[in-house]
Amino acid sequence: MIEQILKRLLISIPVLFGVLFLGFGLLILVPGDPAIVMAGPTATPEVVAAIRAEMGLDDPVLVQFGNYLGRVLQGDLGRSLISNKTVVSELAAAIGPTAELMFACLIWSVPLGIGLGTLAAVWRGSLVDRAIMAISVAGVSLPIFFICLMMIQYLGVEWRLLPFIGRGGPLWTIDGLRHIALPALSLGAIFIGPVARMTRSSVLEVLKLDHVRTARAKGLSETRVILRHGLRNALIPVVTLIGLQVGYLLGGAVVTESIFSFPGVGRLAVGAILSSDFPLAQGTILVLALGFILINMIVDILYVLLDPRVQA
Amino acid sequence: MKRLLLTAAIVMTGGLAQAAEITILREVDSNNYDPHKTTSRAASEVLFMMGDTLVSLAPDMQTIDTGVAESWSVSEDGTTYTFNLRQDVQFCDGKPMTAEDVVYSINRWVDPETKSPVAWRAGEVESVTAIDDYTVEYKLKKPFSELLYQLTQSFGTIIDKDTVEALGPDFGVTGFNGTGPFCWSEWTPRDQMVISKHEAYDWGASFHANTGPASMDKITWQIVPEENTRTVGVITGQTQVTQYVPYIALEQLKASPGVEVVQSDLAFWTYFMGFKIDKDTVSDPAVRQAINLAVDQAAMSEDLFFGVVQPAYSYVSQEALDWNSDLDDQLLKYDPAEANRILDEAGWARGDDGVRAKDGVRLAPTAYVFAGSTWGKISEAVQAYLREIGVDMQIQAFDATVAWGKLATQEFDMFGMSFPYVSSGDALNLYFRSQNVPSPNRMNWIDDNTDALLLAGATAITDEDRQAAYGEVLEIVHDAAVWLPLYHEPMVIAQSTDLETVVPHNIYGAGLYKGLDLKFRE
Repeated sequence: MIEQILKRLLISIPVLFGVLFLGFGLLILVPGDPAIVMAGPTATPEVVAAIRAEMGLDDPVLVQFGNYLGRVLQGDLGRSLISNKTVVSELAAAIGPTAELMFACLIWSVPLGIGLGTLAAVWRGSLVDRAIMAISVAGVSLPIFFICLMMIQYLGVEWRLLPFIGRGGPLWTIDGLRHIALPALSLGAIFIGPVARMTRSSVLEVLKLDHVRTARAKGLSETRVILRHGLRNALIPVVTLIGLQVGYLLGGAVVTESIFSFPGVGRLAVGAILSSDFPLAQGTILVLALGFILINMIVDILYVLLDPRVQA
Repeated sequence: MKRLLLTAAIVMTGGLAQAAEITILREVDSNNYDPHKTTSRAASEVLFMMGDTLVSLAPDMQTIDTGVAESWSVSEDGTTYTFNLRQDVQFCDGKPMTAEDVVYSINRWVDPETKSPVAWRAGEVESVTAIDDYTVEYKLKKPFSELLYQLTQSFGTIIDKDTVEALGPDFGVTGFNGTGPFCWSEWTPRDQMVISKHEAYDWGASFHANTGPASMDKITWQIVPEENTRTVGVITGQTQVTQYVPYIALEQLKASPGVEVVQSDLAFWTYFMGFKIDKDTVSDPAVRQAINLAVDQAAMSEDLFFGVVQPAYSYVSQEALDWNSDLDDQLLKYDPAEANRILDEAGWARGDDGVRAKDGVRLAPTAYVFAGSTWGKISEAVQAYLREIGVDMQIQAFDATVAWGKLATQEFDMFGMSFPYVSSGDALNLYFRSQNVPSPNRMNWIDDNTDALLLAGATAITDEDRQAAYGEVLEIVHDAAVWLPLYHEPMVIAQSTDLETVVPHNIYGAGLYKGLDLKFRE
């Protein structure tokens, strides 16, 4: 087990290096001059040139990347060009809200997705199955921003049930719970569809297997057969899918956080990129990539726990 | 069970409103809150509330009133201002404010080391000294008739030396210590700025209904980039105030129960397109005049901005201090037939494609504008109008982070810009001084007479002399059609009816000014 985790960690290093290089390269390629951002719109060309030299922006790109990499390895991600705060402190303030959003999204959408998928499999071909699959297709097809706007329109504006601006506080406070509800519902809505569909097909597969027939022959109740012998064995592909989808959720969080003004890493990334705040943009890309890698690692570990054959 | 449902309902709907806390929504944040290191409107909005200036400006945008100075006098030669300070002013940390703090603040503002982009607004300072604890002598190398108006801006905020030195580069980032009606609580960049009531404050200017302390205990400035979210935020009562609502939503807001829309009749934020007058395409005054006559600003105001903005024919608001009212009847207004006649007479003939040309120069000026919906629709409307008179304007739009750099080059023929000002002199000195080429004088307007008159206006000792000098400059630049004025943007504030009606203030576009008038209805 530990060996597997170490192996995954080692594989992550070149991935991380690639992400750093790509992130750095993309920001070099997009228009926008960090020196002008720092100097302000009324600065003279001389001041801008001096700042550019001071920031090392006149150096060749590879030298700049080397310097950047050296600083990152020492834990120094630089300072935001806009706020002058350290990138680490800005990221530290944003990671918590994004983690809360992920948690609040998964805590309801995963059980619901698995539950709906199992129901659809058990009542295959019935009205319930069709209704669940229709909901799943809608969830997969609708763009996240549309879902967010509908949530605001109905739950926020028409029925005035929940707030839709800002964070309100940590998740464990009432205000925090109320503020996170709509972003978590929106983000979760796109998650249910794929989970339900995968669970349905996986459970259907498993229910055809011999050990399920044996369980039924032994006289076990249908609920016990499905939950104990069907669902548990069907979960491995579902966990794989959840792992992959959680990575995409980080992308969805960028949109969700922007629309709900939720102060997470996604919104920080958008703000940093739009304002040419290069150090901060690089920092957010790094954190999002780390998040993706971490999630994949957790999925790998879950495999082992769910299916001892993987360990072997 | 009933009780449980009731509790749940209260929780879901936000519980009971907290009496004296409000949220104000806005679109963007400032880069910092150091009055000498930022020129953003977002910073001014908060700095006016957290700090005070020597003198303040009434909502009529003309009357100078008291600030931390309760009285002042100007020497006969106009070079020495003596400010008598109030003796009861104190910083948020409880420290009394004295003349030394004023001296430190002004000196830091004009110190080249500070690199303030707007140090020129303080005049050509010779010295600022404390005569005693409550008297400041502000000496200029030459008179600056705009000084008092400039000192009302947030750049002239009085700050605490100890806090500046203690925080170093983090001043205005992690903390602030001012003498305004509110104090710094917490700033999360791009998310929230929270300020809380300065309990000791009671030195507001007389034009405020409430001279202090503020009625609000806490104000949260929340960044909401999405304009629709801001709009429904006001409608649903999740926020109490915003001045950043799309014009298209104003009718909806006005019709919404619980929302009041307040609009100022004054509009001191002007949108225009400037001509780089030494470019072949726009160097002929006849072309620039024709372009001015070809554009229907009134129709643009109605069609693009739902009649909320004021069509502009003048380069500054006609309500601005020192506007030359003799020009009122001479301003160029929509007359495409006359525009075509002028171009025909000047020898600009239409080619096969309908575009005019003369001496090998095709009338296809390149216009640089900011990317985004506002300048997108403005420039496309202007482009369509100009096609009617045989001018094929080419639009190039740049993201704001790139645009400022592009606008400091000599690459373009026309450019789109908007700016706030406190007076005619403020606007003219910024844009038409030859020493301000290439930026912000992006027109390359180099004229000795203009420079001499701007200097005369700036150094005038009497109001009449200043008005006469600036009036003449206005006449010169309007005659030369150096700009195409488009519209003056008024201050529009959407607020909850739970609040008393706010008094919109145009200073630097910071609509709520000191925030002293923010108060829940009883």
